[in-house]
This record gives sequence, C-alpha cells and structure tokens, in this order.
Amino acid sequence: MVNEWLLRLATWLDGQQWSTDLHESYYMYNWVESTHVLTLMVFLGLLLAIDLRMLGLAFTGTPASQIADRLTPPMLAGFVVMVISGLVLFYSIPVRTTQSVWFRIKVVLLVAAGINALLFRNAMKRSVDSWDTDSLPPARIRWGAGISIGLWVGVVSTGRMIAYDWFDCHKEMPDFMYWAAGCVVELASIETAGAMEE
Amino acid sequence: MELLFIFEWLDTSTLAGISKAYGGVFAMVQTVHLVSIALLGGMVLVSDLRLLNLLLTSVPVPQVMDTTRKWITIALITVTLSGVYQASAVAIKLYHNSSFWAKMAGFAMGLLFLYVVKWPLLRHGVDSLNPWTVRLVAVASLTIWFSVAATGRWIGFS
Repeated sequence: MVNEWLLRLATWLDGQQWSTDLHESYYMYNWVESTHVLTLMVFLGLLLAIDLRMLGLAFTGTPASQIADRLTPPMLAGFVVMVISGLVLFYSIPVRTTQSVWFRIKVVLLVAAGINALLFRNAMKRSVDSWDTDSLPPARIRWGAGISIGLWVGVVSTGRMIAYDWFDCHKEMPDFMYWAAGCVVELASIETAGAMEE
Repeated sequence: MELLFIFEWLDTSTLAGISKAYGGVFAMVQTVHLVSIALLGGMVLVSDLRLLNLLLTSVPVPQVMDTTRKWITIALITVTLSGVYQASAVAIKLYHNSSFWAKMAGFAMGLLFLYVVKWPLLRHGVDSLNPWTVRLVAVASLTIWFSVAATGRWIGFS
C-alpha cells in the first residue's frame, strides 16, 4: 500500500519537465550534487568536531558546552543546504531513488540520527554543568556521541551506495529484497506467479 | 613529466586486483574517503574561522590549532590511503581525467600550504603577525581545501 503510494508520487514527480531537465542538465545536476557533497563536508565535519569533544578526543581544554553552542549554528547552516540539495537530487531521479533499498535505509538512519540528536542534546543540557570542563565527559554522553557518529557514517555510506545498481528492481534478487526496495511491479509478478502455481 | 608509467603500474598492482574484484569493499572505502574529507573539512573550517575571529573567539588560537592540526593530520592520512585504493581501480581512466589532475594540484597545494606556510607561520603566535596576513592565510586555506573537495566530486562527472 505505502509502496504503491510512494511509486505513484515518484512517477508524478518524474513526469514533470523540471525533473527531466535537471536530470539531463550536465552542469546543473553536477553543481547540485557538488553542493550536496560540500555542505555534507561542512555539516558532518562540524558534527564530528562536536562529537569528538563529547568523546573526550578533541578540544578537551575547552568547555564542552562552548564547543557545542559555537559550532552548532554553522553546522545547521550546512545541514539545511545539504537537505535542500538532497531533495533536489531526489526530485531529479525520483522513481529509481524511491525504489532504492539504500535510499530507504538512509532515510531510516536519518530519522534515527535526528532522534539521537534530540535525546543527546536534552541529556547534555540537563547535566552539562556538572562535567562541562571535564576532558572526558560521562559515559552516557560518550555513548550518545559514538552513536551519532555511527549513524551519520551509515547515512554517508548508504547515500554513496545509491549510485550502485546491485539491488535495483530490474535485477534478479531474493523476494525479500524486492519487498525492501518497494519493487511494486516485481512483487505483483511474484504474487501472480504464486497464485497461478496454486 | 610523463607519469603514465605510475598509473600503469598501479593498474596492474595487487591493490588494483582487489579493488576491481570487490565492489562492496570499494564502496566501503568510498565511505571512509568521504568521512575523512568531512573530518578534514570540518577541522580546516574550525581552524580558519577561528583565525578569522568568526568562531570560538574565546578559545586561544594555539589551543584550536593544536587540536585541529592533530585531526587534520589523521584525516590527510586516511584520505590519501582510501584515495590510492580507489584510484587503483580506475588508474588509467584517472590519468586522462582533467578533474583528477585539478584535484591533485589542489591537494599538493593544500599540503604545501599547511606544512610550509600556515603551520610554521602560526607557530610563533598570531600576535606577532599582521592581522591581514592571518586573515589572508585563513581565506587561502579555505579556498584551497574547498576547491580540492569540489574538483574531487567532478572526477565522477568527467
């Protein structure tokens, strides 16, 4: 049901002239993709700087709250442009991206990273006064920072994998992968074949 | 200078055999490369925005430089190792790719700038330097490293 709805939306986006023009424009598409990578560098680079402080591995002589407060605004600026350019990239190739298992894992990891960031920030704000100047923050803060890095590495990794066609719908693969990638047509064929066998 | 023989050697090396045979490993190494670039970019940004008095202004410059220098060095090592692995899979193609050479020129310039200009200059403290020299160093550093990242992305488009 959800897969059918997503495919309908993606097909509608794919039918728009702007989507085709963007995909076929050598310079525009590549500039958008370059912007996505450059802002990923700004966002992830500053996030790593904050998380490394929370792990007690960088800027240990500076209060943790100061690192977080000062680096968060430019990090968020990078995040906003990264998300906008990411949406534009999705708009330019909507059908294949919607049916990419890597893109789907990436979205799940993005949501998980967002939830972790909220929980981490709240936990930090509640307790930071008691350990702000410690070079090694408490274990729960280090766990939050470690999970944050792990999730974002996962986001980068799955984002990179979208370019590979290993699990594209037209490929021969286990039924589970058709389901995970939301291959509506292929799943319907499997169902029809199963019904005919019965 | 003719450098094709290096790329031909790399193309037939054991490393190339591995990188061409295992697509999954290649993709994982690409992730390491991207995360290392982000680490490099983030630390360069913190270091240069501090020199421009735009970030962490209450933290002494030497303190920021000490930390960023350590992580920039780690990032440069992982970027280089993962970059050589990726290059081995498409060595001959890269030799004929103008964006690759633009990136390598930028990368060499970035290394020279870091080890010959920026870090030696800042070793004596920013107070002894003309403020405009410090600003110029920061802007030049940002320009070089962001150009390296941008040209690197264009390798795939060429």
